[in-house]
Amino acid sequence: MPSPADRSPPILLRVAVLFLLLSTASAWKKDEFRNCDQSPFCKRARGRKPHSIPSLSAADVSLSDGAVSARLLPSQPLRQNTAGDDPEADRDPSRILLLRLSVYQGGVLRLQIDEDPSAPRRRFQVPDVLLPDLDDHRLWLPRLSSPAAGSSSSFYLADGFEAVLIHDPFEIQVRRKGSAEPVLSLNSLGLFDFEQLMVKKNDGEDWEERFRGHTDTRPHGPQSISFDVSFHGADFVYGIPEHASSSLALRPTSGPDVEHSEPYRLFNLDVFEYLADSPFGLYGSIPFMLSHGARSSSGFFWLNAAEMQIDVLAPGWDDSASPAKGRIDTLWMSEAGVVDAFFFVGPDPKDVLRQYIGITGTPAMPQEFAVAYHQCRWNYRDEEDVAAVDAAFDEHDIPYDVLWLDIEHTDGKRYFTWDRVLFPNPKEMQGKLAAKGRHMVTIVDPHIKRDDSFYIYKEASEKGYYVKDAMGKDFDGWCWPGSSSYPDVLNPEIREWWAEKFSFQSYVGSTPSLYIWNDMNEPSVFNGPEITMPRDAIHYGDVEHREVHNAYGYYFHMATSNGLLKRGNGMDRPFVLSRAFFAGSQRYGTVWTGDNSANWDQLRASVPMILTLGLTGLSFSGADVGGFFGNPEPELLVRWYQLGAYYPFFRAHAHQDTKRREPWLFGEHNTALIREAVHVRYSLLPYYYTLFREASVSGIPVMRPLWLEFPADKETYNTGEAFMVGPSLLVQGIYEKRQKSVSVYLPMGQSWYNMRNGAAYTGGISHKLEVSEDSIPSFQKAGTIVPRKDRFRRSSTQMVNDPYTLVIALNGSLAAEGELYVDDGKSYDFEQGAYIHRRFIFADCKLTSIDVRPAKIGGKFSSDCVIERIILLGLPSGAKKAVIEPGNREADVELGPLTLRGGSSLVAVTVRKPNVRIADDWTLRIL
Amino acid sequence: MGACLRISLTISCLLLIWISASASIPSRESLGIAPQDLSYYKSDVIKCKDGSKKFTKEQLNDEFCDCPDGTDEPGTSACPQGKFYCPNVGHIPLTTFSSRVNDGICDCCDGSDEYNGNVSCPNTCWEAGKVAREKLQKKIATFQNGVTIRKQEVEKAKQAFAKDEAELSKLRSEEKILKELVQKLKEQKERIEKAEEEERKKREEEERRLKEAERKANESKNAPEESSHDITDQAPEKLSELHNQDAMEDHHDSAVEDKNDYTTGTEISDNQVANDHDDTIAKSGHEADGRSDGSSFSHVEKQHVVEAQDNAVSKANTDYPGTEEELSSHVAEQGQVSDSTEGLSREELGRLVASRWTRENAAEGNDEVNMAKEGLEHDEDIREENHDGYISDSDEDHKFEDDDLEDDQDAEFGEDHEEPTGAYSSDEDDKTDYSDLTVSGSSSWLDKIQQTVNNVLQAFNFFRRPVNISEAATVRKEYDDFSSELSKIQSRISRLNEKLKYDFGKDREFYSFYDRCFESKQNKYTYKVCPFKKASQVEGHSSTQLGHWDKFDESYRVMLFSNGDRCWNGPDRSLKVRLRCGLKNELVDIDEPSRCEYVAILSTPALCLEEKIKELQQKLEDMNTGQPSAHDEL
Repeated sequence: MPSPADRSPPILLRVAVLFLLLSTASAWKKDEFRNCDQSPFCKRARGRKPHSIPSLSAADVSLSDGAVSARLLPSQPLRQNTAGDDPEADRDPSRILLLRLSVYQGGVLRLQIDEDPSAPRRRFQVPDVLLPDLDDHRLWLPRLSSPAAGSSSSFYLADGFEAVLIHDPFEIQVRRKGSAEPVLSLNSLGLFDFEQLMVKKNDGEDWEERFRGHTDTRPHGPQSISFDVSFHGADFVYGIPEHASSSLALRPTSGPDVEHSEPYRLFNLDVFEYLADSPFGLYGSIPFMLSHGARSSSGFFWLNAAEMQIDVLAPGWDDSASPAKGRIDTLWMSEAGVVDAFFFVGPDPKDVLRQYIGITGTPAMPQEFAVAYHQCRWNYRDEEDVAAVDAAFDEHDIPYDVLWLDIEHTDGKRYFTWDRVLFPNPKEMQGKLAAKGRHMVTIVDPHIKRDDSFYIYKEASEKGYYVKDAMGKDFDGWCWPGSSSYPDVLNPEIREWWAEKFSFQSYVGSTPSLYIWNDMNEPSVFNGPEITMPRDAIHYGDVEHREVHNAYGYYFHMATSNGLLKRGNGMDRPFVLSRAFFAGSQRYGTVWTGDNSANWDQLRASVPMILTLGLTGLSFSGADVGGFFGNPEPELLVRWYQLGAYYPFFRAHAHQDTKRREPWLFGEHNTALIREAVHVRYSLLPYYYTLFREASVSGIPVMRPLWLEFPADKETYNTGEAFMVGPSLLVQGIYEKRQKSVSVYLPMGQSWYNMRNGAAYTGGISHKLEVSEDSIPSFQKAGTIVPRKDRFRRSSTQMVNDPYTLVIALNGSLAAEGELYVDDGKSYDFEQGAYIHRRFIFADCKLTSIDVRPAKIGGKFSSDCVIERIILLGLPSGAKKAVIEPGNREADVELGPLTLRGGSSLVAVTVRKPNVRIADDWTLRIL
Repeated sequence: MGACLRISLTISCLLLIWISASASIPSRESLGIAPQDLSYYKSDVIKCKDGSKKFTKEQLNDEFCDCPDGTDEPGTSACPQGKFYCPNVGHIPLTTFSSRVNDGICDCCDGSDEYNGNVSCPNTCWEAGKVAREKLQKKIATFQNGVTIRKQEVEKAKQAFAKDEAELSKLRSEEKILKELVQKLKEQKERIEKAEEEERKKREEEERRLKEAERKANESKNAPEESSHDITDQAPEKLSELHNQDAMEDHHDSAVEDKNDYTTGTEISDNQVANDHDDTIAKSGHEADGRSDGSSFSHVEKQHVVEAQDNAVSKANTDYPGTEEELSSHVAEQGQVSDSTEGLSREELGRLVASRWTRENAAEGNDEVNMAKEGLEHDEDIREENHDGYISDSDEDHKFEDDDLEDDQDAEFGEDHEEPTGAYSSDEDDKTDYSDLTVSGSSSWLDKIQQTVNNVLQAFNFFRRPVNISEAATVRKEYDDFSSELSKIQSRISRLNEKLKYDFGKDREFYSFYDRCFESKQNKYTYKVCPFKKASQVEGHSSTQLGHWDKFDESYRVMLFSNGDRCWNGPDRSLKVRLRCGLKNELVDIDEPSRCEYVAILSTPALCLEEKIKELQQKLEDMNTGQPSAHDEL
């Protein structure tokens, strides 16, 4: 209930502010969402002191089936209900919990704790998130060591790491071998609590919960789980998206010097006009946290799809006399589910990412067009509008690859249909775009209009494919089309059915150049509690919505993505953008940060948000360029394009009430600035595509926090304003109006070259730079080689045959390295080896192109593309010519510009027309 | 030719097309260069146009960008900022971006932009040129005819302007004369009244004397009666004036009182809102209050708004599923700080939340309320503007004496005209109204009335007693008539002044637009554009203001209407009317590219400028010059 203070101000004031509110768009509706105090499980868990609840001890610790198993029993007889202030002591005597510890290749420890199978009801374990072949990578544990009089059991975890189960009270530790100091630990603070399912003994028992007029029947009683996890040797923790924040590192939410704060909430919600800085839950949830410190990195992932609340505790939070140094304690609370948690030992940050990706899957390799620029608006009104926008891009020589249609293109918000008046010839429309190598994306949301004349609705309702309400009827919620039902995508059969709907026969008006956007899949239910589905709604297998909520959007995304895969007979890589996400969503497509707003704070927040998504597997992500709500001033829009051009997913989008903001609408000057920003992205497409390939193999994201590349440089640990694109480029956003100068920290160990003018900067210090309006600061790290395509086209499709430019930034020893990955840009032939993957190495004045494909791989992909230009930064003057082998060909060397734009000065040694094929081995010697 | 044949054999496509295409592809040295630029590339060492560098002839079109500005690669895609010239013989030459060169898409009708053999682009210049020439010819014809019409229009405007100016000066002199006459009549009237008064007094005196005599004769006492009689009889006009004033003050008072009542009522209902969230009616009342606060809405309007919303809400409540009006009130509630939604039905809640994103629904609901309101207040609106002297809170039913004036003003707004045609006069009533003044407005008319007045004045014999009643009535009538004529003339003068202060274009070519409106029907809406006045969107009986006349822009190529009705959470509506040459004044297209920002196209002879014809003819000539050679080849 809102406190009296939250109630309305006096009437007259309200009258006066009404206009203001209407015109400035009212903000985030705080009261509509629960806070921790309104969620019993959170309030209870958060109020506890360390070691204040009856502890559990591990008994019967043994090896079975190559894993450690034990039973968790109360450590001592339950205290009597001595004081009335502890309602928890009043509970049923706990049944025994079963614990299992298993180890996976690469330094992953898995902890599972569940009720005994004799419990009245099985608790929900999230299916289809962990890789299906995960068990093939499980290590068979040969033995358990019990060093100190049986008080603990330890076993091998990875080279240099061991896992320890301390028996009483039970505690899990990950340690460096031979060190008593853990890297990670669980229940060191004795906060582990596990509410077991209950059966109503009499009708008088009431577990119902009410929130703003909604009643949650909670038929199985409270069933929450909470525990503490400590990251030892950590300076900062990161991850657990999705939250909007100006900080990349997670700020403490509790403890001394922390203002009252909510815990970080993981609960997928459709939040109207979210704040730029809040621990509040947004559209997606990934319960994966990483830590980093000077000594090491580690990670912790709890596979649980129920609402989760996570506190990051500041040192001294427990009022202890000597606050722990170099350790970050966290408190994890979930409303339901089981403990299925993974500890990642690192020790390097990239190791932690690989370990996480090793269990949840690598990001899907996108089609090449999807890496280019996307133009979206709610809504391009009709076919004429689409044609006009398409033509205007050409008229202004601004490339774009994808035009998007939002909900208004449908016949009454019935997805898979077209408004017959506005879009009478959808195939022809897509054909016209496709003729220019462009693609289209239409929106398909999970709410199905309850209309018997709508074939999707009818079919699903006849088959009983909808999520049910607590009474067992098809759940009926309100969304765009009005009264709607939601397919129960937890059920694999229903996912299959859904996937079929994307076939060309079924989706009338779709063509092979059409791809899909999943929105509102949190799921958004306008008249539901917290704008989502009631927690007591029932899914397949008698699963309550509360148990599966955070994964609903994930299953929907999965089903849609599989639909596109099927549509193309497994030959065409799907492109599906989703707003909701969960751990593993990276396997199915792209995500974005939802309905942001057109203001500078949200521009700033976009970077930590996207970096956090990248750290938790979702490499292919972006924020709406320009801001969804509101009208950006031209300067903000330009700055957003300049920053957005480096987002992995680069899309402009706008609310339907906003003024049109296609790039050419703000005067010639701004049009030129935006064109330039978009061109920067297009010229870097070969580099980006190579990075997407890397992400799809290793999980290392395209857009990276500085510390991922410079783990030893403490200055970088909490940088959320600058970021790395791959290993080579550093980009600093401009987040303030009319900013004249900016301070950029360039990490130590290397020097850096300004990507505009080739000027060199020393690493390890902050540089105060003048800010120009035509670009945001960007630097290439010395020692790297970046492939570009400097010829501009209408869309990426026409760039396929264009020649490359290599930009070689030499380090102190005049050496550099870089990679180029090329494939057909659309099919899965690359899985059979049909790709080009080169490593370029420059050393001793010699550039060598080396094939880095595995030797035995089959498949064939070739390209006649050549390298038309090689730019060398940091090469002492005196180069006269280049000699190419094989063939002993000569190429001219001269001074050239770094970018091909009017007025560029000649700053770098340039090899003119070496014309070496990217598919071939060759060397080029500078003489 | 040998090379051509070899290739044509391998391609085995239409030989004719190939030849014409090959013929249009120039050598490397001239590829993509416009004829007027060829001389720039003559020397052996060529400068980049931006002066950054020099390059040799070998570097011209060698697929490597030496000049960042693109000077050295006019015929390839190597320089991102380069431009490619296709001759398009038979059609118009085209200068396109170098990004189009060899990108696999045929951009030039002669196919010269695709020469690397990846795609074959047929030469379509002759066909396309033919179409374009025809189109251009048509356009020229339109312009030529348009120029004639425009000339006539300008001539008409000149005359009309002169006429209006003449009328104005005539009206001014008439006004002067009429004023004098009215003054004279007034004096006469007053003298008559004075005379009558005297006569009456005399008569009374006579009567009194008679009565006195009678009394004396009868010895009866009547004095008090007489005195009271005296008072009652005195200045009856003054009394009635007083009475009127009272009545008006009453109106005023009651209005104020109403307002007070209303305000308190609102407060009460607000309290109810705070307690009872189902009380949507009270809330919409509240909303109305909030909206009109600080605006010029009168008290009466407020009530209308309330009523309109009441109706809407009750309709929404009975006619399930609810309509959008219902939403708007909820949204209004939403906008307020009180945010509890517990009292709402599931559906209401769903709609409410949806409306946050769409606003559209809410906005439309709101618009409809506005429109309903506008329909109701339509008349008051005008009154309010024109009767500044009156208290703006005046009651709706309050009738003003000078209905004529009001009608005139109504006509000016052209709201009552339901003309089916696309363009019509907004001022017809106005014209007929003044026909007696303007049509017969010769000096003889003035002479005549002067004569009449003089006759009347002279006819009246002041020395005759008793006053001739019919003559007095004539004077009064004449006074009334002429003062009403005077006020008509005065209002006409002010209207003419109003009109003449506008900017009607370089040649006053838009002069006739002042009295016209243009209409276009698009789906359910009818758009009305009345230049120098306002533009609106009409749906059934409701009308939304798209904007009030602002100005011409882009040297008379655009008409701007701004400050229209407010958009929900958006800007005030506005309309940009783009003008283009056409034979008729016609609103051909109207569109809303951004929310609440409308764009229309109006074709009009006013835009058919003579100097443009030469330009178009030159263009046609250019197209034709290339034609014969290409044609001969075929």
